[in-house]
Amino acid sequence: MHEKAPVLQASDRERIGTRYCKRYRDAGQLPAVLYGHGQAPIPILLESRDTLAHIHKGEKVFRMNFAGAKGGKHKDDGQTVLLKDLQFDYLGSTIVHADFARVDLSERVRTRVPIHLVGEAKGLKQAGAILMHPTAELEIECMVSELPDFIEVDIADLDVGHSIAAAAVKLPSDSMKLITDSHAICAQIVIQLEVEVAEATTATGEAAEPEVITAKKPAEGEEGAKDAKAGAKDAKPAGDKKK
Amino acid sequence: MALLPKRVKYRKEMRRIRDRKATKGNYVAFGDYGLQSTESLWVSGQQLEAGRIAAQHFLKREGKLIIRVFPDKPISKKPLETRMGTGKAEPDYWAARVKAGKILYEIAGVTEETAKRAFARAAAKMPVKCRFVGRQVRV
Repeated sequence: MHEKAPVLQASDRERIGTRYCKRYRDAGQLPAVLYGHGQAPIPILLESRDTLAHIHKGEKVFRMNFAGAKGGKHKDDGQTVLLKDLQFDYLGSTIVHADFARVDLSERVRTRVPIHLVGEAKGLKQAGAILMHPTAELEIECMVSELPDFIEVDIADLDVGHSIAAAAVKLPSDSMKLITDSHAICAQIVIQLEVEVAEATTATGEAAEPEVITAKKPAEGEEGAKDAKAGAKDAKPAGDKKK
Repeated sequence: MALLPKRVKYRKEMRRIRDRKATKGNYVAFGDYGLQSTESLWVSGQQLEAGRIAAQHFLKREGKLIIRVFPDKPISKKPLETRMGTGKAEPDYWAARVKAGKILYEIAGVTEETAKRAFARAAAKMPVKCRFVGRQVRV
Protein backbone atom coordinates (compact mmCIF):
# COMPACT_ATOMS: atom_id res chain seq x y z
CA MET A 1 0.00 0.00 0.00
CA HIS A 2 2.74 2.46 1.03
CA GLU A 3 4.60 2.25 -2.32
CA LYS A 4 1.56 3.43 -4.21
CA ALA A 5 0.36 5.79 -1.48
CA PRO A 6 -1.83 8.39 -3.17
CA VAL A 7 -0.77 12.02 -3.02
CA LEU A 8 -3.17 14.54 -1.51
CA GLN A 9 -2.97 18.18 -2.51
CA ALA A 10 -3.06 20.14 0.74
CA SER A 11 -2.82 23.72 1.86
CA ASP A 12 -2.86 25.49 5.20
CA ARG A 13 -6.27 26.45 6.53
CA GLU A 14 -6.09 30.09 7.55
CA ARG A 15 -9.59 30.43 8.97
CA ILE A 16 -10.92 27.93 11.51
CA GLY A 17 -14.39 27.42 12.94
CA THR A 18 -17.77 26.09 11.86
CA ARG A 19 -18.71 29.00 9.66
CA TYR A 20 -15.52 28.98 7.62
CA CYS A 21 -15.46 25.18 7.37
CA LYS A 22 -18.91 25.32 5.80
CA ARG A 23 -17.68 27.85 3.26
CA TYR A 24 -14.67 25.68 2.44
CA ARG A 25 -16.93 22.66 1.89
CA ASP A 26 -19.21 24.67 -0.36
CA ALA A 27 -16.13 25.61 -2.39
CA GLY A 28 -15.20 21.94 -2.91
CA GLN A 29 -12.57 21.63 -0.18
CA LEU A 30 -12.41 19.28 2.78
CA PRO A 31 -11.30 20.66 6.17
CA ALA A 32 -8.82 18.39 7.93
CA VAL A 33 -6.22 18.40 10.66
CA LEU A 34 -2.66 17.07 10.67
CA TYR A 35 -0.96 16.07 13.93
CA GLY A 36 1.57 13.73 15.47
CA HIS A 37 5.32 13.28 16.04
CA GLY A 38 5.28 15.76 18.91
CA GLN A 39 4.53 18.72 16.67
CA ALA A 40 1.68 21.14 16.97
CA PRO A 41 -1.49 20.17 15.09
CA ILE A 42 -2.12 22.21 11.97
CA PRO A 43 -5.51 22.76 10.33
CA ILE A 44 -5.32 22.01 6.61
CA LEU A 45 -7.51 21.98 3.53
CA LEU A 46 -7.68 19.14 1.00
CA GLU A 47 -9.16 18.90 -2.45
CA SER A 48 -12.49 17.29 -1.58
CA ARG A 49 -13.26 15.23 -4.68
CA ASP A 50 -9.94 13.40 -4.95
CA THR A 51 -9.57 12.88 -1.20
CA LEU A 52 -13.04 11.40 -0.79
CA ALA A 53 -12.54 9.13 -3.81
CA HIS A 54 -9.39 7.70 -2.21
CA ILE A 55 -11.04 7.34 1.21
CA HIS A 56 -14.08 5.55 -0.26
CA LYS A 57 -11.69 3.16 -2.02
CA GLY A 58 -10.35 2.21 1.41
CA GLU A 59 -6.97 3.96 1.27
CA LYS A 60 -5.46 4.83 4.63
CA VAL A 61 -1.88 5.90 3.99
CA PHE A 62 -1.26 9.05 1.95
CA ARG A 63 1.47 11.51 1.12
CA MET A 64 0.81 15.19 1.63
CA ASN A 65 1.78 17.62 -1.09
CA PHE A 66 1.91 21.24 0.01
CA ALA A 67 3.04 22.54 -3.37
CA GLY A 68 2.18 26.18 -3.86
CA ALA A 69 2.10 26.93 -0.13
CA LYS A 70 2.86 30.47 0.92
CA GLY A 71 6.34 31.21 2.33
CA GLY A 72 8.37 28.64 0.40
CA LYS A 73 8.55 24.94 1.09
CA HIS A 74 6.14 23.68 3.73
CA LYS A 75 7.65 21.66 6.60
CA ASP A 76 5.16 18.83 6.01
CA ASP A 77 5.62 18.68 2.24
CA GLY A 78 5.96 15.03 1.18
CA GLN A 79 5.06 13.80 4.67
CA THR A 80 3.52 10.31 4.92
CA VAL A 81 0.28 10.44 6.85
CA LEU A 82 -2.22 7.91 8.19
CA LEU A 83 -5.96 8.50 8.17
CA LYS A 84 -6.93 8.40 11.85
CA ASP A 85 -10.53 9.55 12.02
CA LEU A 86 -13.46 10.76 9.95
CA GLN A 87 -16.37 12.95 10.91
CA PHE A 88 -19.70 12.41 9.17
CA ASP A 89 -22.80 14.55 8.88
CA TYR A 90 -25.85 13.65 10.93
CA LEU A 91 -27.08 11.15 8.32
CA GLY A 92 -23.72 9.41 8.44
CA SER A 93 -23.17 9.54 4.69
CA THR A 94 -21.17 12.71 3.94
CA ILE A 95 -17.63 13.11 5.26
CA VAL A 96 -17.22 16.59 6.73
CA HIS A 97 -13.78 16.41 8.34
CA ALA A 98 -10.73 14.13 8.43
CA ASP A 99 -7.89 13.57 10.90
CA PHE A 100 -4.41 12.63 9.66
CA ALA A 101 -1.41 11.60 11.75
CA ARG A 102 2.21 12.03 10.68
CA VAL A 103 3.85 8.61 10.44
CA ASP A 104 7.06 6.98 9.27
CA LEU A 105 6.92 3.86 7.14
CA SER A 106 8.84 1.91 9.78
CA GLU A 107 6.58 3.07 12.60
CA ARG A 108 4.10 0.77 14.32
CA VAL A 109 0.59 2.14 14.32
CA ARG A 110 -2.86 1.06 15.43
CA THR A 111 -5.63 1.12 12.86
CA ARG A 112 -8.82 -0.63 11.83
CA VAL A 113 -8.88 -2.93 8.83
CA PRO A 114 -12.08 -4.26 7.21
CA ILE A 115 -12.79 -8.00 7.11
CA HIS A 116 -13.64 -9.71 3.82
CA LEU A 117 -15.48 -13.01 4.17
CA VAL A 118 -14.33 -15.50 1.55
CA GLY A 119 -16.02 -18.71 0.45
CA GLU A 120 -19.49 -20.21 0.62
CA ALA A 121 -20.25 -21.42 4.15
CA LYS A 122 -21.55 -24.97 4.24
CA GLY A 123 -23.97 -24.10 7.02
CA LEU A 124 -25.80 -21.63 4.76
CA LYS A 125 -27.24 -24.53 2.74
CA GLN A 126 -29.58 -25.31 5.63
CA ALA A 127 -33.03 -23.68 5.48
CA GLY A 128 -33.32 -20.51 7.56
CA ALA A 129 -29.56 -20.19 8.08
CA ILE A 130 -28.24 -16.61 8.19
CA LEU A 131 -24.67 -15.39 8.12
CA MET A 132 -24.08 -12.74 10.77
CA HIS A 133 -20.88 -10.71 11.04
CA PRO A 134 -21.17 -8.40 14.06
CA THR A 135 -17.52 -7.36 13.84
CA ALA A 136 -16.87 -5.97 10.37
CA GLU A 137 -13.37 -4.63 11.04
CA LEU A 138 -10.42 -5.56 13.22
CA GLU A 139 -8.14 -3.20 15.07
CA ILE A 140 -4.54 -4.23 14.58
CA GLU A 141 -1.08 -2.92 15.39
CA CYS A 142 1.44 -3.17 12.58
CA MET A 143 4.07 -1.28 10.63
CA VAL A 144 2.79 1.36 8.24
CA SER A 145 4.63 -0.30 5.37
CA GLU A 146 2.72 -3.57 5.79
CA LEU A 147 -0.73 -2.16 6.51
CA PRO A 148 -3.20 -4.39 4.62
CA ASP A 149 -6.18 -3.07 2.66
CA PHE A 150 -8.37 -5.82 4.11
CA ILE A 151 -8.12 -9.11 5.98
CA GLU A 152 -9.61 -12.21 4.40
CA VAL A 153 -11.50 -14.67 6.56
CA ASP A 154 -12.32 -18.06 5.08
CA ILE A 155 -15.81 -19.17 6.08
CA ALA A 156 -16.10 -22.26 3.85
CA ASP A 157 -16.03 -24.64 6.84
CA LEU A 158 -18.39 -22.60 8.96
CA ASP A 159 -21.39 -24.62 10.09
CA VAL A 160 -24.66 -23.75 11.83
CA GLY A 161 -24.15 -22.69 15.43
CA HIS A 162 -20.44 -22.18 14.94
CA SER A 163 -18.61 -18.88 14.87
CA ILE A 164 -15.21 -17.43 14.04
CA ALA A 165 -13.73 -15.30 16.81
CA ALA A 166 -11.24 -12.50 16.18
CA ALA A 167 -8.47 -14.57 17.77
CA ALA A 168 -9.01 -17.30 15.13
CA VAL A 169 -8.44 -14.91 12.23
CA LYS A 170 -5.07 -15.38 10.58
CA LEU A 171 -3.37 -12.02 10.19
CA PRO A 172 -1.38 -11.46 6.96
CA SER A 173 1.93 -11.01 8.79
CA ASP A 174 3.36 -12.47 11.98
CA SER A 175 4.50 -9.05 13.17
CA MET A 176 0.89 -7.83 13.30
CA LYS A 177 -0.80 -7.74 16.66
CA LEU A 178 -4.53 -8.00 17.24
CA ILE A 179 -5.95 -5.22 19.42
CA THR A 180 -9.65 -6.02 19.06
CA ASP A 181 -11.13 -8.21 21.79
CA SER A 182 -10.12 -11.77 20.92
CA HIS A 183 -13.65 -13.03 21.67
CA ALA A 184 -15.32 -10.64 19.20
CA ILE A 185 -17.32 -12.63 16.64
CA CYS A 186 -16.30 -12.04 13.03
CA ALA A 187 -18.68 -14.53 11.39
CA GLN A 188 -21.46 -16.70 12.74
CA ILE A 189 -24.25 -18.78 11.24
CA VAL A 190 -27.54 -18.69 13.09
CA ILE A 191 -30.92 -20.21 12.33
CA GLN A 192 -33.78 -17.76 12.12
CA LEU A 193 -36.74 -19.23 14.00
CA GLU A 194 -40.25 -18.07 13.27
CA VAL A 195 -41.27 -18.90 16.85
CA GLU A 196 -39.02 -16.17 18.27
CA VAL A 197 -41.13 -13.37 16.83
CA ALA A 198 -44.39 -14.87 18.03
CA GLU A 199 -43.02 -15.29 21.56
CA ALA A 200 -41.80 -11.73 21.72
CA THR A 201 -45.18 -10.40 20.65
CA THR A 202 -46.99 -12.44 23.30
CA ALA A 203 -44.58 -11.38 26.02
CA THR A 204 -45.10 -7.70 25.35
CA GLY A 205 -48.80 -8.16 24.71
CA GLU A 206 -49.49 -9.56 28.16
CA ALA A 207 -48.38 -6.40 29.92
CA ALA A 208 -51.08 -3.92 28.92
CA GLU A 209 -49.59 -1.32 31.22
CA PRO A 210 -46.04 -1.37 32.57
CA GLU A 211 -45.21 -1.74 36.22
CA VAL A 212 -44.35 1.59 37.86
CA ILE A 213 -41.32 1.21 40.12
CA THR A 214 -41.88 4.38 42.15
CA ALA A 215 -45.64 3.88 42.62
CA LYS A 216 -46.73 4.36 46.25
CA LYS A 217 -48.21 1.22 47.78
CA PRO A 218 -51.32 1.92 49.92
CA ALA A 219 -50.72 1.42 53.67
CA GLU A 220 -53.06 -0.67 55.84
CA GLY A 221 -56.11 1.24 57.05
CA GLU A 222 -55.83 3.73 54.24
CA GLU A 223 -57.49 1.40 51.76
CA GLY A 224 -61.04 1.98 53.05
CA ALA A 225 -60.64 5.72 52.89
CA LYS A 226 -59.16 5.45 49.44
CA ASP A 227 -62.07 3.35 48.18
CA ALA A 228 -64.56 5.91 49.43
CA LYS A 229 -62.61 8.66 47.72
CA ALA A 230 -62.48 6.71 44.47
CA GLY A 231 -66.25 6.15 44.57
CA ALA A 232 -66.86 9.88 44.75
CA LYS A 233 -64.96 10.46 41.51
CA ASP A 234 -67.12 8.74 38.90
CA ALA A 235 -65.48 10.22 35.84
CA LYS A 236 -62.04 8.76 36.55
CA PRO A 237 -60.48 7.14 33.42
CA ALA A 238 -59.76 3.42 33.35
CA GLY A 239 -56.00 3.98 33.12
CA ASP A 240 -55.83 4.87 36.85
CA LYS A 241 -55.88 1.28 38.06
CA LYS A 242 -52.17 1.28 38.87
CA LYS A 243 -52.49 4.15 41.33
CA MET B 1 -49.73 -5.90 19.90
CA ALA B 2 -47.76 -2.67 20.13
CA LEU B 3 -44.39 -2.57 21.87
CA LEU B 4 -44.23 -1.08 25.36
CA PRO B 5 -41.83 -1.30 28.33
CA LYS B 6 -42.27 -3.86 31.10
CA ARG B 7 -41.28 -1.53 33.95
CA VAL B 8 -41.02 2.24 34.16
CA LYS B 9 -39.93 4.63 36.88
CA TYR B 10 -42.68 7.19 36.27
CA ARG B 11 -46.02 6.84 34.49
CA LYS B 12 -45.96 10.23 32.80
CA GLU B 13 -43.21 12.21 31.16
CA MET B 14 -42.68 15.75 29.90
CA ARG B 15 -42.81 16.32 26.17
CA ARG B 16 -39.24 17.63 25.75
CA ILE B 17 -37.56 19.10 22.67
CA ARG B 18 -37.86 17.03 19.50
CA ASP B 19 -36.02 18.86 16.74
CA ARG B 20 -32.54 17.33 17.01
CA LYS B 21 -30.18 15.19 15.00
CA ALA B 22 -29.05 11.71 16.00
CA THR B 23 -25.50 11.35 17.23
CA LYS B 24 -25.94 7.76 18.38
CA GLY B 25 -27.49 4.86 16.51
CA ASN B 26 -27.04 6.65 13.20
CA TYR B 27 -25.15 3.92 11.38
CA VAL B 28 -25.77 0.28 10.52
CA ALA B 29 -24.15 -1.66 13.34
CA PHE B 30 -25.56 -5.21 13.45
CA GLY B 31 -27.00 -6.14 10.06
CA ASP B 32 -26.02 -5.49 6.47
CA TYR B 33 -28.63 -2.90 5.49
CA GLY B 34 -30.73 -0.42 7.42
CA LEU B 35 -33.71 1.89 7.25
CA GLN B 36 -32.71 5.38 8.37
CA SER B 37 -35.03 8.16 9.43
CA THR B 38 -34.29 11.53 7.84
CA GLU B 39 -36.72 13.43 10.08
CA SER B 40 -37.28 13.83 13.80
CA LEU B 41 -40.58 12.63 15.20
CA TRP B 42 -42.17 10.38 17.79
CA VAL B 43 -42.82 6.95 16.33
CA SER B 44 -45.45 4.99 18.23
CA GLY B 45 -45.11 1.37 19.22
CA GLN B 46 -47.97 0.46 16.90
CA GLN B 47 -46.26 2.07 13.93
CA LEU B 48 -43.00 0.28 14.71
CA GLU B 49 -44.82 -3.02 15.02
CA ALA B 50 -46.71 -2.41 11.77
CA GLY B 51 -43.41 -1.72 10.01
CA ARG B 52 -41.86 -4.84 11.48
CA ILE B 53 -44.78 -7.02 10.40
CA ALA B 54 -44.80 -5.53 6.89
CA ALA B 55 -41.09 -6.24 6.42
CA GLN B 56 -41.18 -9.64 8.14
CA HIS B 57 -44.11 -10.88 6.05
CA PHE B 58 -42.23 -9.95 2.90
CA LEU B 59 -39.06 -11.65 4.12
CA LYS B 60 -40.97 -14.71 5.33
CA ARG B 61 -38.28 -16.83 7.05
CA GLU B 62 -35.43 -15.30 5.15
CA GLY B 63 -32.98 -12.98 6.88
CA LYS B 64 -32.93 -11.48 10.36
CA LEU B 65 -34.76 -8.25 11.12
CA ILE B 66 -33.48 -6.10 13.97
CA ILE B 67 -35.41 -3.17 15.51
CA ARG B 68 -33.00 -0.46 16.68
CA VAL B 69 -35.48 1.78 18.51
CA PHE B 70 -37.87 1.08 21.38
CA PRO B 71 -40.99 3.03 22.37
CA ASP B 72 -40.20 3.95 25.98
CA LYS B 73 -41.76 7.41 26.13
CA PRO B 74 -45.34 7.65 27.47
CA ILE B 75 -47.44 10.12 25.49
CA SER B 76 -50.41 11.64 27.34
CA LYS B 77 -53.64 12.63 25.63
CA LYS B 78 -56.73 14.25 27.05
CA PRO B 79 -60.08 12.60 26.25
CA LEU B 80 -62.34 14.23 23.68
CA GLU B 81 -64.64 17.09 24.75
CA THR B 82 -62.72 17.60 28.00
CA ARG B 83 -62.05 21.05 29.44
CA MET B 84 -58.46 22.14 29.75
CA GLY B 85 -56.72 21.98 33.12
CA THR B 86 -57.17 19.54 36.04
CA GLY B 87 -53.70 18.12 35.64
CA LYS B 88 -51.81 16.08 33.12
CA ALA B 89 -53.80 13.55 31.13
CA GLU B 90 -53.42 9.80 31.27
CA PRO B 91 -50.84 8.06 29.02
CA ASP B 92 -52.40 7.20 25.68
CA TYR B 93 -49.61 5.38 23.86
CA TRP B 94 -45.88 4.71 23.93
CA ALA B 95 -43.50 6.27 21.43
CA ALA B 96 -39.84 6.10 20.46
CA ARG B 97 -37.97 9.39 20.18
CA VAL B 98 -36.65 9.21 16.64
CA LYS B 99 -34.17 11.88 15.63
CA ALA B 100 -33.05 12.62 12.09
CA GLY B 101 -30.41 10.08 11.11
CA LYS B 102 -31.55 7.31 13.47
CA ILE B 103 -31.52 3.75 12.13
CA LEU B 104 -34.96 2.21 12.72
CA TYR B 105 -34.52 -1.32 11.37
CA GLU B 106 -31.65 -3.46 10.17
CA ILE B 107 -31.60 -6.63 8.11
CA ALA B 108 -28.92 -9.33 7.96
CA GLY B 109 -28.60 -12.31 5.69
CA VAL B 110 -30.49 -11.13 2.60
CA THR B 111 -29.54 -9.59 -0.73
CA GLU B 112 -29.60 -5.84 -1.25
CA GLU B 113 -32.59 -6.08 -3.57
CA THR B 114 -34.62 -8.09 -1.03
CA ALA B 115 -33.67 -5.70 1.78
CA LYS B 116 -34.72 -2.70 -0.31
CA ARG B 117 -38.11 -4.20 -1.08
CA ALA B 118 -38.70 -5.21 2.55
CA PHE B 119 -37.74 -1.77 3.84
CA ALA B 120 -39.96 -0.06 1.26
CA ARG B 121 -42.89 -1.82 2.89
CA ALA B 122 -41.74 -0.90 6.40
CA ALA B 123 -41.10 2.72 5.38
CA ALA B 124 -44.70 3.03 4.19
CA LYS B 125 -45.84 2.43 7.78
CA MET B 126 -43.54 5.07 9.27
CA PRO B 127 -44.64 8.65 10.05
CA VAL B 128 -41.16 9.89 9.06
CA LYS B 129 -39.34 10.04 5.76
CA CYS B 130 -36.86 7.20 5.54
CA ARG B 131 -34.02 6.09 3.33
CA PHE B 132 -32.22 2.86 2.64
CA VAL B 133 -28.60 2.66 3.84
CA GLY B 134 -25.87 0.06 3.79
CA ARG B 135 -23.04 -0.74 6.14
CA GLN B 136 -19.89 1.32 5.73
CA VAL B 137 -16.42 1.23 7.23
CA ARG B 138 -15.94 4.19 9.55
CA VAL B 139 -12.11 4.12 9.94
